[in-house]
Amino acid sequence: MNVIETKNLEKVYDGKAVEVKAVNKVNLNIEEGEFTAIVGPSGSGKTTLLNLISGLDSPTAGSIHIDDTDLSTLNRKQLVDFRLKNIGFVFQSYNLIPVLTAGENVSFIMELQGRDKHETEARTREILENVGLADRYHSRPNQLSGGQQQRVAVARALASKPRFIIADEPTANLDTKSTENLLDIMEELNQKEKITFIFSTHDQRVVKKARRIILLEDGRIVKDEQKKQ
Amino acid sequence: MIWSIAWKNVWRSRKRSLIVISAVTLGTIAGVFTSGMMNGWVNQRIDAVINTEMSHIQVHHPDYLLNNELKYTIPNYQKVITTLNQNPAVKQISSRIKVTAMAATSRGNTALTLQGVNIEDEKAIRDIHEKIVKNGGTYLGTEMRNPIVISDKTAEQLRIKSYSVTSETIDSLKTLGVPENIANKTGPLKNKRFKTEKLYKKALEKQFTKKEINEYGHHLLNAAKHYRLRSKIVFTFNERNGGLVYQTYRVCGIFKTNNTMFDQMNAFVLHNDLAEVADFEDKEYHEIAILLNDNEKPEDVKTNLKKTFPGLSFLSWKDLSPETALMTDFMDVWYIIIIGIILMALAFGIINTMLMAILERTKELGMLMAIGMNRKRVFNMIMLETIFLTFVGALAGMVLGALSIFITGKTGLNFSSVSEGFEAVGWSAQVYPSIGFDFFILVTIMVVVTGILSSIIPARKALKMNPVEAIRTE
Ligand SMILES: Nc1ncnc2c1ncn2[C@@H]1O[C@H](COP(=O)(O)OP(=O)(O)O)[C@@H](O)[C@H]1O
Ligand SMILES: [Mg+2]
Repeated sequence: MNVIETKNLEKVYDGKAVEVKAVNKVNLNIEEGEFTAIVGPSGSGKTTLLNLISGLDSPTAGSIHIDDTDLSTLNRKQLVDFRLKNIGFVFQSYNLIPVLTAGENVSFIMELQGRDKHETEARTREILENVGLADRYHSRPNQLSGGQQQRVAVARALASKPRFIIADEPTANLDTKSTENLLDIMEELNQKEKITFIFSTHDQRVVKKARRIILLEDGRIVKDEQKKQ
Repeated sequence: MIWSIAWKNVWRSRKRSLIVISAVTLGTIAGVFTSGMMNGWVNQRIDAVINTEMSHIQVHHPDYLLNNELKYTIPNYQKVITTLNQNPAVKQISSRIKVTAMAATSRGNTALTLQGVNIEDEKAIRDIHEKIVKNGGTYLGTEMRNPIVISDKTAEQLRIKSYSVTSETIDSLKTLGVPENIANKTGPLKNKRFKTEKLYKKALEKQFTKKEINEYGHHLLNAAKHYRLRSKIVFTFNERNGGLVYQTYRVCGIFKTNNTMFDQMNAFVLHNDLAEVADFEDKEYHEIAILLNDNEKPEDVKTNLKKTFPGLSFLSWKDLSPETALMTDFMDVWYIIIIGIILMALAFGIINTMLMAILERTKELGMLMAIGMNRKRVFNMIMLETIFLTFVGALAGMVLGALSIFITGKTGLNFSSVSEGFEAVGWSAQVYPSIGFDFFILVTIMVVVTGILSSIIPARKALKMNPVEAIRTE
């Protein structure tokens, strides 16, 4: 079953001199439970594609369906709500809320969703344990290493049980050891929680871990490779 | 949760927030304190108008007010008194004869209004008897024949007051806490008499340094001040039917209020002592002063009395001292103006600070919008932050402002360096700041409104952000 389905997706930016087709005729299906890497050189359109899929940006042409929802039918308010309920985000620069503790950062989305306090608390502890940070519940982001912060970010994205998680270059700021550690955790959670992961990268070590690799060049999909299990 | 994040965000840039909060605090203190000072001042003036000068309402023959002609005494006096005594709003009344007279001693003369009063009524309605100065004798009601109470100012004009240093002066200076060496420095002035304050001051200035005068000057003045009590003053005035009469009164007491003009114009004698020579019958009076139980109602009572006695003139203290009434009304406007100006200045500071804070947090706000925080929540968060910022400062300012009013309200603030100007028109140089509880309600409301209004601009700015671009910023 497809979680994400795009048809002839296009995004054109009005550059100063010329138009830039950041995403060009992309037809992409992502199935439930995938662990997929979008790879390609800098400027190939990875971020733009992920922004379109997650409803942050609107396409110039083409369509996006998440499950049965056509994103173009949602207004801005509905889109925010849709993201809150269905999509988890991990950003390159962690983007935790600096005034909140690790635990509060993880609870944050569940609280926005209006979930029960006890459920939120329990889920936060569980997921922090899963990312190996049970003992850092009360630490502020600035008391954590980059790798630890990104693990909190993954926990935050996952805690609310979204349909899929979008991670735009999640390891770009991490050293080798933290990168491996983070990917192991992502992979484990992907199996355990059955949550679809789509992440972009241009790091070969990361690419190796993916089960499906989509290669972008100048906004086009030039290769779509499924690894055998 | 939005509340807790907003609160934590306030303390993110601790230094900046503290600066803004201190500014709000200082502004609020300034506003509260100046208002307290104004209010205290106006209240003191109202208190003087009501309890020393005018009472709440005065009754006259309508024509008496035109040119104070003596024949215009209050008609139906007995009936008026009976009605007033039955009115539950009335606390106390006092009837007076008032005669304009020339006062003369062998050394000076002045014009003033002689008020013939009934001593018990008068003591119950106005507090002149509490304003007798040190070494200034006593209020009416002594054994003396034809006693009169005059003001310190009148005593000066009639040269009944003088300054001289005696060994008693030096002793009393010492008991007042003036150091011995300073007290002894008055030696060369001993046994000289100074006819006016000005001359004595001049002599003091030769003897003492500026610093010493600043510190002990008022003691040096007071201890050397002498009144010739029991002095005779000859008054010349018209009796009831126009004939000129003379009457001698003896000074039994010297009073001093904060109103030089009032002091200069009024002297008090016993009703019988004046009625007799001026040829007034027993129930003939020019003025009835009425003190009410309640400060709030003089206009209502006045209107009712006017209906009962259409032939008489009833004036409230607001009619008699319109400038004081104006100040009272102005106070309400003053509150709004002063607090408004301060809060407006602060609103600009707060808006500026919050805009800066939002600019710094572009990326974070973009992230929040991306992961699913809707516009309403973002708006509320920024708004709360702004309101917290305003509130902490305003609250601290109100507490400290109230405290400063409480403290100075006890000790009083002295403006004696400029006091002569004030006292000439009845405004005390010693101000006791005070403020009503309703003022704080007003300030709180205005602070809340300012907080909300100034939060709108930064909150809107935050909403204008595009999350995609915000996240891309470094
Ligand atoms: N807001 C924008 N305005 C104009 N051009 C843009 C904008 N965002 C991205 N681009 C262009 O779109 C192309 C794809 O960018 P991006 O999606 O960021 O690639 P990647 O994430 O693979 O580095 C680039 O050529 C980039 O310059
Ligand atoms: Mg990118």
